[in-house]
Amino acid sequence: MGADLFSLLVQSGNSLGAHSAAMSVAGNNVANANTPGYSRQIANLAANPGVSSLGAGNVGTGVSLVDITQARDQFVERQIPNALAAQSRSQTESDALNALTALNPDLEGGLPTEIGAFYSSLQTWSQNPGDPALRQNVLGSSQALVTSFNQTATSISAARTGLDSSILGKINEVNSAAQSLADLNKQIQIAKSAGGQANDLMDQRQAAVDTLATLTGATPYTDGAGNVSMALPGGTSLVVDGSAGSFSAVPDPANGGLLKLQLNRADGSPPTDWDGMSLGGTMGGLFAARDGALKTAADSVDNLAFNMATTMNTIQQSGYDVSSNPGVAMFSLPAGAGGAASQIRINPALTALGLAASTTTPASTGDNSNVLAMISTQSAPLLGGANPVATIQTIVTAFGTSAAQAQALASHDTAMASNLQNLRDATSGVSIDEEMVNLTKAQRAYEAVAKVISTANQMLDTLMSIAG
Amino acid sequence: MRVTNRMTFDQAQAQMMAARDRAMQAQQQVTTGMRVDHPGDDPAAAGVMVSQGIAIQRLDTIDKTTSSAQGEVQTADGALQNVSTLLARAQQLAVQLGSDTYSAAERSAGANEINSISSQIAQLMNTQVAGRYIFGGTKDNAPPFDASGNYLGDQGVRQIEIAPGLLQASSIRADVALKGAGGGVDVFGALSAMSTALANNDGAGIRSAIGGLNTSTDQVAAALTSTGGILSAFDSAQQIGSVAKDSAQKVLSAQSEADIFEATSNLTLAQQSLQASLAVTAQSFGVTLLNYLK
Repeated sequence: MGADLFSLLVQSGNSLGAHSAAMSVAGNNVANANTPGYSRQIANLAANPGVSSLGAGNVGTGVSLVDITQARDQFVERQIPNALAAQSRSQTESDALNALTALNPDLEGGLPTEIGAFYSSLQTWSQNPGDPALRQNVLGSSQALVTSFNQTATSISAARTGLDSSILGKINEVNSAAQSLADLNKQIQIAKSAGGQANDLMDQRQAAVDTLATLTGATPYTDGAGNVSMALPGGTSLVVDGSAGSFSAVPDPANGGLLKLQLNRADGSPPTDWDGMSLGGTMGGLFAARDGALKTAADSVDNLAFNMATTMNTIQQSGYDVSSNPGVAMFSLPAGAGGAASQIRINPALTALGLAASTTTPASTGDNSNVLAMISTQSAPLLGGANPVATIQTIVTAFGTSAAQAQALASHDTAMASNLQNLRDATSGVSIDEEMVNLTKAQRAYEAVAKVISTANQMLDTLMSIAG
Repeated sequence: MRVTNRMTFDQAQAQMMAARDRAMQAQQQVTTGMRVDHPGDDPAAAGVMVSQGIAIQRLDTIDKTTSSAQGEVQTADGALQNVSTLLARAQQLAVQLGSDTYSAAERSAGANEINSISSQIAQLMNTQVAGRYIFGGTKDNAPPFDASGNYLGDQGVRQIEIAPGLLQASSIRADVALKGAGGGVDVFGALSAMSTALANNDGAGIRSAIGGLNTSTDQVAAALTSTGGILSAFDSAQQIGSVAKDSAQKVLSAQSEADIFEATSNLTLAQQSLQASLAVTAQSFGVTLLNYLK
């Protein structure tokens, strides 16, 4: 074979194919400029080996497409799942905690306000314990306090059950992402065995890895065969090669009927309970908010309700009412602190005249000694330790600290994740300007090769006319 | 660094959202005047708001309660001053009529006046404030003195809180002041002894009964001293309470309220940076090679 016109035509035809492939790659890149997880592809062209011609050296034989590769930075990509998981966990927790307004210090009808109002009504009553209007006022403020405890407990518990609904939704997302990661592992193996590059499947797999990491904090690892498996925090595998584990949720009686996670492992062993707090990502954030700061707040409000009401009941029962009868309990409560804030009620048997102002019997109408005892509990330690004011202050501050920490962590993690995303985009992202240049470059080359073909054609024409 | 389109758009988006968030927070601070809404905004400040809020509420209520008690003690003080005036008149009568120059008829008229003084004192001691008998100790729902001056109240002293945790008596013991409980004289007894001596035209008896009246006057004067003491305790407690309330209010404001000048300037700053970020974003979107490839 030599540098004859026919072989020029043939090699130009092949070169046209290579350049149009380069245009397709650029076109595909432009089309996927906004596709999440897409890595820019590069058409690698190489000159065909020359052939020896007329003993005067080698003459080239045009260009062909060697392969289409992805521009990826493994170093950055390996860090991204962890960063996404951390960001998603702290952001989810922060959002969940910020959504709870029941512990806002300024809230109308909130616990701080109503505890203050309750003691105020006792204080006012103490000045004239026989006054029926002041007694009625104490009864009213006790009712308001009870309502405030009930509403605070309801808000916190609604926030926690609301997180449960999110958890259910996220479980579905985790399961489907795990399944699709396993499926993609299989498809990529098939594509590779057929000799393909499977670039797009690998992008999809990377997206599935990112999704799983974002949802659960799982980290990817690659085996020798190129399968990407994922391990949950702690090391248990969620996806192994072509098989995926899954999560399910069942009510947990030990946690007030809220959901607990169960892991169905990839190897098909029977489901086991799984600690949701141990997860990272969105799921971990949901559990951290539900069983962390919100649970602490719910428990402390329960304790405060129980201790405060028990203390008040004891004092009320040790005194005597206007008819010199021993006082009846002010509040009705469950036997233990659990659920006290939601179940506390005014004792239905309590009337305004039944409030026990006196410590002696027969009770004088002006005797306020028992009222003073009630007032003194405002700054005296309750059963649980601190006084009610310090306790509610601690509850608000502790909850606020958790929320502020989650928020600070969320901003930090978001900055980290977005920095890594930028680094990844710097390598793998599509620049439309660049692709336009690539496209134009390929177009010009294509045009030039076409010109070669037409020139060769003209030369052949000339040759034919001589021959004719 | 290789800059790609997604980077440009994603960053523009993130920065605009952040600028909007800052602008909204600044706006919220300006419109509500509050720096802390959610406990997470500033946990320590939120806690201080809770404790200072309740402390202010308590000081406020103590102030009002003290004012009500003050009203009662002032009324008691007024009543005792009237009792004191009446006793002075009785003393004056006794000294005057003790002289043997007065006739039996004049002394008998004096006896009537003493009797009337005695019943006026009993009436004064049954003074009520808002339906409450203030001289009956803790038994405040029935007149503490009957017409003959017998004490029907109890030995209790009412107490109120005049500062957090600090109790102060808010009544005096009428049984001590008027009936001489615990080693004094019975004012009504002294008056009745005087009245009997006058009615009997018993000059020596009148002169010896004057001593009882003198002691009575001293006893009532002592009671007036203690009402005065209570009132001044109330006064200083209210003053201290108002200082305490002011400082609690200051702490609360410092922790919870936004500095309006700072908040306004933050708002302007946030709005300007939002505007700038929007303008820059719109411009950077426009810069693309596509505009030049025809």
